[in-house]
Amino acid sequence: MDETVAEFFRRTILKIPITEMMAVLKAWDFLSENHLQTVNFRQRKESLVQDLVLLCEEKRASLNDAALLDIIYTQFHRHQKVWDVFQMSRRPGEDIDLFDMEQFKSSFKKILQRALKNVTVSFRDTEENAVWIRIAWGTQYRKPNQYKPVYVVYYSQTPYAFVASSLLKSNLPLLGQALTVASKHHQIVKMDLRSRYLDSLKAIVFKQYNQTFETHNSTTPLQERSLGLDINIVDSRIIHENRVEKERIQRVTQEIFGDYPQPRLEFAQYKLETKFKSDLNGGILAEREEPLRCLVKFSSPHLLEALKSLAPAGIADAPLSPLLTCIPNKGMNYFKIRDK
Amino acid sequence: MELANAQSQDGESKGGVLAHLERLEIQLSKSHKKLEEPQREQAVESALGTKIHKLRLLRDKLSAELKQRQARVKVSAANVEPDQTLEISEQEILERKQENVKAILQAYRFTGISGKLTSRGVCVCISTAFEGNLLDSYFVDLVIQKPLRIHHHSIPVFIPLEEIAAKYLQTNIQHFLFILCEYLNAYSGRKYQADRLQSDFAACLAGPLQRNSLCNLLSFTYKVEPKDQSFPFCARLLYKDLTTALPTDVTVTYRGTDASATTWEEQRAAHEHMFFTKPLHQVFTSFARKGEKLDMSLVS
Repeated sequence: MDETVAEFFRRTILKIPITEMMAVLKAWDFLSENHLQTVNFRQRKESLVQDLVLLCEEKRASLNDAALLDIIYTQFHRHQKVWDVFQMSRRPGEDIDLFDMEQFKSSFKKILQRALKNVTVSFRDTEENAVWIRIAWGTQYRKPNQYKPVYVVYYSQTPYAFVASSLLKSNLPLLGQALTVASKHHQIVKMDLRSRYLDSLKAIVFKQYNQTFETHNSTTPLQERSLGLDINIVDSRIIHENRVEKERIQRVTQEIFGDYPQPRLEFAQYKLETKFKSDLNGGILAEREEPLRCLVKFSSPHLLEALKSLAPAGIADAPLSPLLTCIPNKGMNYFKIRDK
Repeated sequence: MELANAQSQDGESKGGVLAHLERLEIQLSKSHKKLEEPQREQAVESALGTKIHKLRLLRDKLSAELKQRQARVKVSAANVEPDQTLEISEQEILERKQENVKAILQAYRFTGISGKLTSRGVCVCISTAFEGNLLDSYFVDLVIQKPLRIHHHSIPVFIPLEEIAAKYLQTNIQHFLFILCEYLNAYSGRKYQADRLQSDFAACLAGPLQRNSLCNLLSFTYKVEPKDQSFPFCARLLYKDLTTALPTDVTVTYRGTDASATTWEEQRAAHEHMFFTKPLHQVFTSFARKGEKLDMSLVS
């Protein structure tokens, strides 16, 4: 086995936490049960990794097998990457999309390989008719850098592709072209949506985040759900002031945010380029001709849940600004606000 | 004499006279009392007598009332039972009616399209089915405003909901729902066939079934006899009409190396015809049955 490939194996296996080692190796399915039984999993990690690399060498594992292992590791640790969302479009009135996964894969690979001789492209099919693509970029003269790959997740017959941000922005147009042509679209555009949580991004663009529906079969009446501020708890020691207002806030919040768990985002960023608006006459800021430029960024471990709890906690007025509440509906968490 | 006694012996006679007077007074009052006592006793007696009389009257009155009441209670007890059972049965009837209506509303989903009014509009439920098998349900929550809009839904992203809504939602909501129903039922049917093929006839397939999200392109390599070693046929099914669950294009190729080409060609053509006309998993079921028939003929 090539030295670089062996090193790639070593570094990839070393990344895997011991607790996940068995699960990842089983998902990889390159080393069988019998092979794995010959390895002592209780030794120190470095020795374990060495044994596994030797085993891979024995079984003549290729660069492709290593790339596949890398994909599986990334699937287990998808939150470690920041994902962008791209939207593709077709010309109107086009034929039905008869998507052939094998055709897509071969077309995608061909387009990249024709443009860049040095590129490693690997695929792994997943459930829901989706595919994870791993691309290691090289240049005309340099071999592909296996340690800075780009990942793309594509669900067949949808217009969206999820791309783990790569530092090599120069390769993005080529990637876009390959995706568009292979999936039989005409245009690709980067959405203003970014997060670590791939599943939340999918829920937002596929509009899967609100899945509670009223039917005659459901027994729980919707009115009984509360936001944690349950005014109906009768405790005579507590006197609720502003009860009417609290109930209004609860109602408005529920109308806007619903009863479902919010998709998970870490931030929302607003770039403002607006003139200063003030009721007071005069003032230095009001007289400026040029618009003010500033950046407002909201960060949170779970931004939408945090926004949902602002009004009930008394920190903000209800209803919240539509700039904050439109995030999942519009599928954006980067905004540019200009004067109209 | 009395005076003389009184004058001569003042002290003794005074004592004597006063004492005498006292004694006389006492006698008098005693005799008065003796006279009074029977009177008083009589008075008391008569008072007691009237009291007794009054109490007797009261007793009679009360016992009469009691008897009346008892009689009334018996009568009303006889009447009350039918009244109460009448009330119970009315309530029961209403409850049963309510349950009936609820059950009918719940059962409406078996018609394929059902809905429930919501505070802002209506939540439509499209229940898909294929050949008598009830499959997934999909929801569209509509807000009744001008213009009509979809609040949220559970339609998969690869069904062209926006296109269909753009064409029909504002102008003809019935048509919108029917078209959506067609798309979803056809998708459910295709998915059902592909799932059944993968699960029930995995032994007849070489490798996994190639499919896509809409299940409108299926590609697989298969054999007819489970005991065959090789997988001689390749099939490629295209469903260009998204409102149907049967393919529009079928290509079956024979990739074996058998010399007797004509029988294989016949089989190949027959398979193609079957894939056009029958649901996918039923084609494979008929393969199995033909195999059984052959076995039976060999045995007999």
